[in-house]
Amino acid sequence: MPTQPPLPPLLTPYVSSLPPSSLTLLSSVLGATGNWLVLRFLHAALSQPSTSDGALGFSDSNNGKKRKVVLVSFLRGWEFWRAEAKRLGLDLARLTDKRQFAFIDGLSELFAAPPTPSPSHTSPTHGAVPPRTVLPLRSQPGPVPARGPQPARPVATPPNPPVSREIGPVKRLHLSGNGTSALDGLERDITAVINDLRTSTTPGDEQGETEVLLIIDQPDLLLAATGPGRGIGATEMGDWVMGLQQHIHATLLTLSADSPLIHNASAFAHQPTTPLETEHAAFAIGSAHRAHMVMQLRNLETGAARDVSGVLRVSKGGAWGQSSVDDHWEEKEVLYFVQRDGGVSVFGRGE
Amino acid sequence: MAPTNISHRQTHNLLLISKLLSLRDTASPLTLVLDSLEQPATPLIKEYIRRAKLSKAHVTLIAFETLKPLEGVDAFVAARRKTPLEILKAVGAAYQNVPSNGPSRRRLIFIDAVNPLLHSKKNDPHFHLSTFLSTFLIPSSPSAPKVDVSLVVNFHQDVPNPPAQSPYAPSPLSMLTYLATTIIKLHSFSHILAQKAARDRSLAAPVFGLEEEQDGVLLGRLDKPSGNESAEGIVLELEHRRKSGRGVLEWYFLPPASRYPPQYVKEIVTLLDDHPLYRPPQEPDAGAGEDEPESTFELRLTDRQRRDREGVVLPYFDAQQGDGPGEGGRILYDMGEEDDFDEEEDEI
Repeated sequence: MPTQPPLPPLLTPYVSSLPPSSLTLLSSVLGATGNWLVLRFLHAALSQPSTSDGALGFSDSNNGKKRKVVLVSFLRGWEFWRAEAKRLGLDLARLTDKRQFAFIDGLSELFAAPPTPSPSHTSPTHGAVPPRTVLPLRSQPGPVPARGPQPARPVATPPNPPVSREIGPVKRLHLSGNGTSALDGLERDITAVINDLRTSTTPGDEQGETEVLLIIDQPDLLLAATGPGRGIGATEMGDWVMGLQQHIHATLLTLSADSPLIHNASAFAHQPTTPLETEHAAFAIGSAHRAHMVMQLRNLETGAARDVSGVLRVSKGGAWGQSSVDDHWEEKEVLYFVQRDGGVSVFGRGE
Repeated sequence: MAPTNISHRQTHNLLLISKLLSLRDTASPLTLVLDSLEQPATPLIKEYIRRAKLSKAHVTLIAFETLKPLEGVDAFVAARRKTPLEILKAVGAAYQNVPSNGPSRRRLIFIDAVNPLLHSKKNDPHFHLSTFLSTFLIPSSPSAPKVDVSLVVNFHQDVPNPPAQSPYAPSPLSMLTYLATTIIKLHSFSHILAQKAARDRSLAAPVFGLEEEQDGVLLGRLDKPSGNESAEGIVLELEHRRKSGRGVLEWYFLPPASRYPPQYVKEIVTLLDDHPLYRPPQEPDAGAGEDEPESTFELRLTDRQRRDREGVVLPYFDAQQGDGPGEGGRILYDMGEEDDFDEEEDEI
């Protein structure tokens, strides 16, 4: 199969321009993960319009506005995202240095005590901490090999400076306390990074206003790991996301929508449910109600196929049509295929 | 149904929905809107706001999940991280400095989603939904000028409810349906059409979205599932409780906002039964009676034959007259002139 453009043309209208103060929900299931789509959002926001977008005729979608991205990941570490983005031609480390991108690690030390009293944004280097940043990727169905614990490959990481690369540009979140105060702490940390990113300008780029896109990757981990016992439920998580939304241009939220997490507690099922099922379903469905656009990834209904990784359905969320800004995009259902090299092809059924 | 009945229902129920949506005569102090991911309440709320603007009512939006105020909202109260008491205060304050000209003052208060309020972990056990809602409706002080307040509460049906604190307490939804004077349940028109098509063929009605219980599917709605552009719009299933206690049930159709100008004053809602896609107009089957099998034989009767046939009194009619035993069942036969009397007939 020929090499795919980093941004499949069918996807471009959906990932390239998110309306202001909108929430986009990306739901995935175990067999169809959404990392590739998150990377497409990153690429659409961060890549230079001169290279690939210009050729496709989307160079004017930026409107001269500077786009920046803050990625908060609760399930994967810096190395994973850096290596995966590299395969798309995005150098996140360089972009971080250019103050266009900031990564916030919500996984490594979320439940560890804050290491040192210094509240600097780039957390201090302490190389002794083993990088628990990489979760093994779920494998795609079919013979596509798991994109795997790639980050450990020497291709991605130069041999000797892993410590500085590992720790360098990463802000790590710490959860302390209970209930809303704990979430407020996280919100403060994330907001500080956002404001830091927004105000900092690289020389020569002062013109134009800055649009910051916030990507919150799988905050359901936070909900699952704390839960009602610590005073954090669906409402609190929703409020937390809303609080973050106030500071930024647009938000992308990724959540799991596997059947047990959604349907066991659904209003249509009649069986006793666990608090986790209830809260997760309430958070996911409530987020879909607040979302402008919902992108749902799922497996093929007919089983695994050699040349199809899954189905992507783009639907209008509950908040669609609230703003007077007319955005004309159509709901769509397409198939996608994640190739061995990380390239993705997106096509309609039967194409 | 008799045609007079239908036209009566049309005028009556259309008047009712128009009164309800335009907040006339405080027909319904507490309206409960039940929406789902398959049909969000946004179009209906926009329609409410449009009508409120036409009648110059004051619109307040209590936003539990809306970030930016909708167009046409006069006061926007963000309810994030607020206790119910703080919300009440903010809503009261939003109406303080409104110029009080005009004889009738109306106020429309929306709650964009009541679920977060019900789910919140920090609510104290003394929080009662009924008290909270009724505080909006009851004027704060008796001396305050009277304002007609209508409260429209949106509830997401598909968001699962947390377990009740007390096993004996009613669920929030049953509480809300008990309190509400009007309940509007929203359906997507294309889904209603698909379900009706299945019912008409005696098939099980299809389900959509979360109800499909398919892995990874939150929303099943697609814009134009069959390329049918005219299937846009939403269906309102209305239950209105009159003051007398009598309930009115009706299904309405609200066309999409792009079909009419925002200043349009006439009623745009129609009965669902009157929608041409839901109930296609009957083919006028005049001439269906004329169709008789054609053949070379003359199967029809002449006029005279028909008249004679209608004139025949069948024996059982005669028997019912009861002229005495044995008399009633006699076969009466008048000889026609063309009849050939057979003398031997009775003797066989």
